[in-house]
Amino acid sequence: MQASRARLFKEYKEVQREKVADPDIQLVCDDSNIFKWTALIKGPSETPFEGGVFQLAFAVPEQYPLQPPQVRFLTKIFHPNVHFKTGEICLDILKNAWSPAWTLQSVCRAIIALMAHPEPDSPLNCDSGNLLRSGDLRGYYSMARMYTKLAAMPKKG
Amino acid sequence: MQNQDGVQVDGEVESATSVATPEFDEWANFGDQDIMQQHSAIRAEEAEKIPFLGDKEPLSSLAAEYQSGSAILLEKIKVLGEQYAAIRRTRGDGNCFFRSFMFSYLEHILESQDQSEVDRIKANVEQCRKTLQSLGYADFTFEDFFALFLEQLDSVLQGNEASISHDELILRSRDQSVSDYVVMFFRFVTSGEIRKRAEFFEPFILGLTNATVEQFCKSSVEPMGEESDHVHITALSDVLGVPIRVVYLDRSSCDTGGVSVNHHDFVPVGSDLPNASGGSEKVSPFITLLYRPGHYDILYPK
Repeated sequence: MQASRARLFKEYKEVQREKVADPDIQLVCDDSNIFKWTALIKGPSETPFEGGVFQLAFAVPEQYPLQPPQVRFLTKIFHPNVHFKTGEICLDILKNAWSPAWTLQSVCRAIIALMAHPEPDSPLNCDSGNLLRSGDLRGYYSMARMYTKLAAMPKKG
Repeated sequence: MQNQDGVQVDGEVESATSVATPEFDEWANFGDQDIMQQHSAIRAEEAEKIPFLGDKEPLSSLAAEYQSGSAILLEKIKVLGEQYAAIRRTRGDGNCFFRSFMFSYLEHILESQDQSEVDRIKANVEQCRKTLQSLGYADFTFEDFFALFLEQLDSVLQGNEASISHDELILRSRDQSVSDYVVMFFRFVTSGEIRKRAEFFEPFILGLTNATVEQFCKSSVEPMGEESDHVHITALSDVLGVPIRVVYLDRSSCDTGGVSVNHHDFVPVGSDLPNASGGSEKVSPFITLLYRPGHYDILYPK
């Protein structure tokens, strides 16, 4: 508990310093609980998520950093490796490939990379995975784009 | 009333079908997080059966394990008994090599009070810190693990306020908050060494998986619970400058009929150990591990 708190505090300081270096990620710690974080990440360019801003929720376990944080999308997203209802993310580093060498910031970077490079063979969203696996890029793109516009872009007016 | 056999068979069939239906319904809501929770529950249950580090046991306890098993293994254990007196088991959680090394090394320092060895390894640890920095690791990701290892190193040396007894060393090795942090320290330095000498390690890694050196480190060295292979052992031995003997206990036998127990000494490259001077004298490792396919324990020579 003490160790995880100390580590998170270091990450907090690091985040303040990296703010400028990584404008695509805005990582914020809960005011009253250092084990709860949220992040706003920008959808990567040349993907159907471009122009969207996606919110992530982090729940950090007491065993951190020996155990990974639990991360999910709060913003609706149509992506093969994100559960459409719960926002749960299928990413190896959040499961068995986790190591303390990762940080909350680098997890955000990994999630942005996953948005740009979906892995349709291990889908949490089968509809999305099946579109990609059947080679229907246009179908995948338009569905993903639609949800980006509906859920991840500021409403006009 | 039916005969009992009949009742039992019927009962089994019924319960099998009645259980299946609700499970199918629940699968839809059974997420990765539930699976991970289940995994950690299973691990916790297994953990109660054997601590991270067991008690020192006579070698006969090893023989007892194979009493009704392979004759070759029993024969080999007999041969082992000529040179080794005892075994200390570690938990089979994928960290057994690193944990065995940790305890074996710290126990050696505690018993030998070898200040020059401590000074030597500390210099190597500082080198590891620089290696990780130059590979782009942020200090805060590894410094806590380094600090905890150095703390253990200081505390096994007697005569200062933080000094600990052999019993305390065992307790700490069984305490997750110390033990896992030290294991993770070894994972960091092993990974750093492999990546630093990527050209040397690449062919060995290609023999194990088809991953690149960096992928291998990210997926098979740094994560806790990933088992160790000769690549890990070579790298750890090299980077800390600590020779390690691994004794192999498996079913292999010689054609001649007799059995012998093979061992391999991992001797650090550019070894500047006192007894390696001149190169002609044989390095005798003070760490001896017993390898059985998939698992490492600690062996104690006679």
